[in-house]
Amino acid sequence: MAKIPITLTINGEPHEALVEPDRTLLDVLRTDLGLTGTKTNCLDAECGVCTVLVDGLAVNACLYLAVVAQGRAITTIEGLASPGEGLAPAGALHPLQEAFVEHGAVQCGYCIPGMILSAKAYLDDHPRPTEAQVREALAGNLCRCTGYQKIVDAVLAAASRMAGGAVAS
Amino acid sequence: MSTGTRVAGQSLPRIDAPGKVTGSAVYAADFALPGMLYGKVFRSAEPHARLVRLDTTRAASIPGVRAVVTAADAADVRYGAAVKDEPVFASDVVRYVGQPVAAVAAVTLEAAEAALAAIEAQYEPLPPVLDLAAALAPGAPLVHEGWRDYTAIPILQRDGNVCNRARIVVGDVERGWVEADHVFEQRFTTAMVHQGYTEPRAAVAAWDSSGQVTVWSNTQLPFDVQATLADILATVPSKVRIIVPGVGGGFGGKLRIGVEHFAALLARKSGRPVKVMTTSEEELVAAYPRQGTVIELKTGVTRDGRLTARQGRIYFDTGAFAGSGPGVASVATMVLAGPYRTPNLHLEGYAVYTNKTNCGSYRAPSGPQSNFAVESQMDIIADALGIDPLELRLRNIVHEGDEGPTGQVLSAVGLEECLRRAADAIGWPDRRPAPGRGKGLAIGWWTTTGGSSGVYVKINPDGSVTLNTGAVEIGTAALTGAAQVLAEALGVDLADITVISGDTFSTPFDFGAQGSRTAFAVGNACRAAAAELQRKLFELAAAHLKTDADTLELRDKHVVGPGGRVTLAELARQSQVAGGGMIAHGTFIAPGTAYDTKRVEGHAYPAFHSPSFHAHAVDLSVDAETGEVTIHRYVVAQDVGFALNPTYIEGQIEGGVAQGLGQTLSEEIVYRDGRVLNANLTDYKMPTTLDVPRIESILVEHPGRVGPFGAKGVGEPPNIEPPAAVANAIAAAVGTRITALPITAERIVRGLSRDEGDGGR
Amino acid sequence: MSRFDYHQPESLADAVDLAARFGGQASFLAGGTDLIVQIERGRVAPRHVIGLGRVPGLAGIEVNGRIALGARVTHRAIEQTPALAGPLRCLVEGAEVIGGHQVRNVATIGGNLVNASPAADLVPCLLALDGVVTLVGPGGEREIPIERFLLGPNRTARRPDELVTRVDLPALPPRAATAFLKAGRRRAMEISVVCVAARLALDATLERCLEARVVLGAVAPTAVRAHAAERLLEGQPVGGEAFRRAAEAAQEACRPIDDVRASAGFRQHLVGVLVRRALDRCVERARRAA
Repeated sequence: MAKIPITLTINGEPHEALVEPDRTLLDVLRTDLGLTGTKTNCLDAECGVCTVLVDGLAVNACLYLAVVAQGRAITTIEGLASPGEGLAPAGALHPLQEAFVEHGAVQCGYCIPGMILSAKAYLDDHPRPTEAQVREALAGNLCRCTGYQKIVDAVLAAASRMAGGAVAS
Repeated sequence: MSTGTRVAGQSLPRIDAPGKVTGSAVYAADFALPGMLYGKVFRSAEPHARLVRLDTTRAASIPGVRAVVTAADAADVRYGAAVKDEPVFASDVVRYVGQPVAAVAAVTLEAAEAALAAIEAQYEPLPPVLDLAAALAPGAPLVHEGWRDYTAIPILQRDGNVCNRARIVVGDVERGWVEADHVFEQRFTTAMVHQGYTEPRAAVAAWDSSGQVTVWSNTQLPFDVQATLADILATVPSKVRIIVPGVGGGFGGKLRIGVEHFAALLARKSGRPVKVMTTSEEELVAAYPRQGTVIELKTGVTRDGRLTARQGRIYFDTGAFAGSGPGVASVATMVLAGPYRTPNLHLEGYAVYTNKTNCGSYRAPSGPQSNFAVESQMDIIADALGIDPLELRLRNIVHEGDEGPTGQVLSAVGLEECLRRAADAIGWPDRRPAPGRGKGLAIGWWTTTGGSSGVYVKINPDGSVTLNTGAVEIGTAALTGAAQVLAEALGVDLADITVISGDTFSTPFDFGAQGSRTAFAVGNACRAAAAELQRKLFELAAAHLKTDADTLELRDKHVVGPGGRVTLAELARQSQVAGGGMIAHGTFIAPGTAYDTKRVEGHAYPAFHSPSFHAHAVDLSVDAETGEVTIHRYVVAQDVGFALNPTYIEGQIEGGVAQGLGQTLSEEIVYRDGRVLNANLTDYKMPTTLDVPRIESILVEHPGRVGPFGAKGVGEPPNIEPPAAVANAIAAAVGTRITALPITAERIVRGLSRDEGDGGR
Repeated sequence: MSRFDYHQPESLADAVDLAARFGGQASFLAGGTDLIVQIERGRVAPRHVIGLGRVPGLAGIEVNGRIALGARVTHRAIEQTPALAGPLRCLVEGAEVIGGHQVRNVATIGGNLVNASPAADLVPCLLALDGVVTLVGPGGEREIPIERFLLGPNRTARRPDELVTRVDLPALPPRAATAFLKAGRRRAMEISVVCVAARLALDATLERCLEARVVLGAVAPTAVRAHAAERLLEGQPVGGEAFRRAAEAAQEACRPIDDVRASAGFRQHLVGVLVRRALDRCVERARRAA
């Protein structure tokens, strides 16, 4: 079949691509669009490093066809921080990103984009989670470096900040 | 914790965090070049066979394929960390399922995969050596017929399928058995497990017109890859440049050449850049996992619980090539001794060839396996003698000034404090707080690996500081720790320091991210460079402030004297204008640790440098019907010497225990008839958020004499004690002693029914 | 070059036409978490993939005594539907344990049923609830009870030119409760070593079982009802002896295999444990609800 022209709305911006229908969203993001913030590993929905948000829901981009993503709002890690203005070097980090930095939740960092997006999707729906709920929300994101503890702490802290008050733990 | 230090010892955010949380940090798996081809590796389908025919003609004519390489395209060399037994591609004999036989590069990954499918290989099976017993049986087929001809580290004791036998002998164990009131003999087994880094091994290679190749790779040790690759390419190391953009976890599995050679050979043949990346399946079939082992441990003890003698044999199934096996077998003997006073020792580690994947180094190599045996047996002994397991350990542990097993004198021994604090925190001695619930302890010791590190440190005219190091940041935040040491020495802030790392062309030599050595060695190299910078700064400042150099000090980004002060920035500017710039070279190698050479044989690792000591304690419940284990609390007390950055040290402990729990409860690479049955992440089961408990870290500080501010290596130790701690707690909880890893639910249920005399199902 | 042609029908009729045209050369794509994996691994190689994302009427959940679940209902939708949280709770319990959120957000019950993995978690729950599958093909619509729909590992009664459109669950009798339990080697992201879905309907005294369903997963080529176990429960007082005998009968009904996840013997042992526990939980829930 000939390539299909698609427009992917990524982090609010339209990106045009010409793709074979069997290409995954992960591959198109990384190879065609140079957005390597979304990572590649098992290609089997087992590890979660490829997690992106599609219409606010966390999905594994490795099993999501690019042609199916047409017409949907895709959020990748590159879309979380606000862009810099004027001469400022960088914009503001999302509270989740800030919390991950502050709580020592980042080690090698390869699982982190997927982890942050899974957390964001959950917090957007459940602003005051318990620790158990945060762990459950992140169960599809493997981390080999941290043992998850500081990641969980960071998500709870970010939830607090985003909800404007203390979150029960 | 900080004892008057300003930067070192503070829990400051790591310097590379912003790039990682925004997705802008580039890892080798992300790296790409215009016009790049995709490379894939064709691998052996047989565990042991003659490769009688290899035909790549059809593959080469698949549309999109631009190069095919086989053994004919590489120098006829073998490589390996201890024994040079491994070829790039098999040419006459294949020795494991997954061994590389050829590689292809094509315009798309799909075309490369189609080319693999078009390669024709014909094998004549040879008798496979499937496990340790088969390898060691008299008359066993040889995995390497030509083993004698291989170049190897001279110290190794090799014979047939044994690629090293390391030995420690102290006193006379026969006398020890006589002195003992009881002798305990147990056998333990552990499975092959994978490091589980989330970023696959990846490399992009590109040649330039001067015959130089650059390879962007996620190696932990670029200088080793450089040297090995130069041999394979029949060139000199200065024509091989290894650059590490970023590493998504390594844990030892990315220490040795992985896919860099395939990328370089394909790039040379095709004339285009080539990227090669492993799949999860390749990782679980053909990487550098942790060796599976069999351990036979015999220990003599008096009735009041004093160890009199220990005889131990640990056999490492190191796969088709020696890999790290010989060294690991050596280290094992140190762990088998344990941090205990035992007058008579006869400890042996064997690295054994089989027709499985080449095994390598994985976080505390030999540690978890050996410690599982030692610490499980200590509890078996304690229970048999009716002595509390904590008490038994306290009666035998080493203290300041004691000797290690090879005669090294131990100092900064924080072991007793670790043991008492961990036991206290878990609520010892209430070992069985409820039915089905139990607590377990395990202790150990470990090394801070030596090897040299060099750094260049430059102070820039804007006052910033550049730290240029050949070390690689694999995620531990070791380079942040080293930068903290540098900031402390120079009187600047961590935020003033930029780190450049991991480029064999432009960064000084570093022995690599291994053996818990990076913050330690790079930190000390930074101190050396800072001392030299201080000398130069004071020389300039003395003139500038019209005073003597010995009246000056570094403080707050200034050189301060009795009559005035000048910024480092200004001095750097002056130096740049008139003196070529404010830069210094610092180097460090740990001084050797004296030991008794007569006690060791075939031993590649006869002393633990700046040793660390640790104690783990766990409180768990076992569902006796399903065998499911629920961990309620897990405590680690670790003697870190000096906590350079407590937050990230906790991170090493939390992550190391999580990895250790995976090895303990759920992970194993399963072989049958020389083939891996579970080469995917569905069935290679690493712990998720729901499987790892909260871990409580107690950082104990008995500063050593060598490390920066007394720091010791911290990254590997947390991986060592989980198997024994958990096995001991399970025994306390439900009475069943499991001597095999992983301790699966099935093993627990079978163990319980065996204990009840039902004979199992 | 793409491995398959992609089609995006915008009506059920068009979807069925395409399936009729391409037959065994085509696969339907719902969430993709089974199909795309299998294509990537080379286990299936459809020449045509028919995406269902634009076909209306397949993703609804209706609850009015009976339950109707559209084939494209996701596991997430099941988790988040309050009406399914009561006596029908095993459905939620079976849905919430598969994969992680990423998988549950897109994976559908239709896809799960058609994939018919012997270890599927949701399928035993649908079977325990007497689910009936509706298929639409060129010849029209037909209904098959799930027990007859499942034929073997990854094999169902669906003809290549048919599309599963919905699963209907009859209304539960009064004083009914369900439970789902699973055993595996880790607590998330797990293919069941054994799973059990159970349903009990109690009499007015809440002491006697009137109707029972005991369904076992991962211990036979398909999810299976342990009919003998069910017969041993119906009419009997709950708990104790009846549950023990039912658990034993369930053990006899299973045909587990040895594989890399567990031995057959251990699976059989777990069936006994999980059946008993699932039945206990049903009683607990029925009594609490009353």
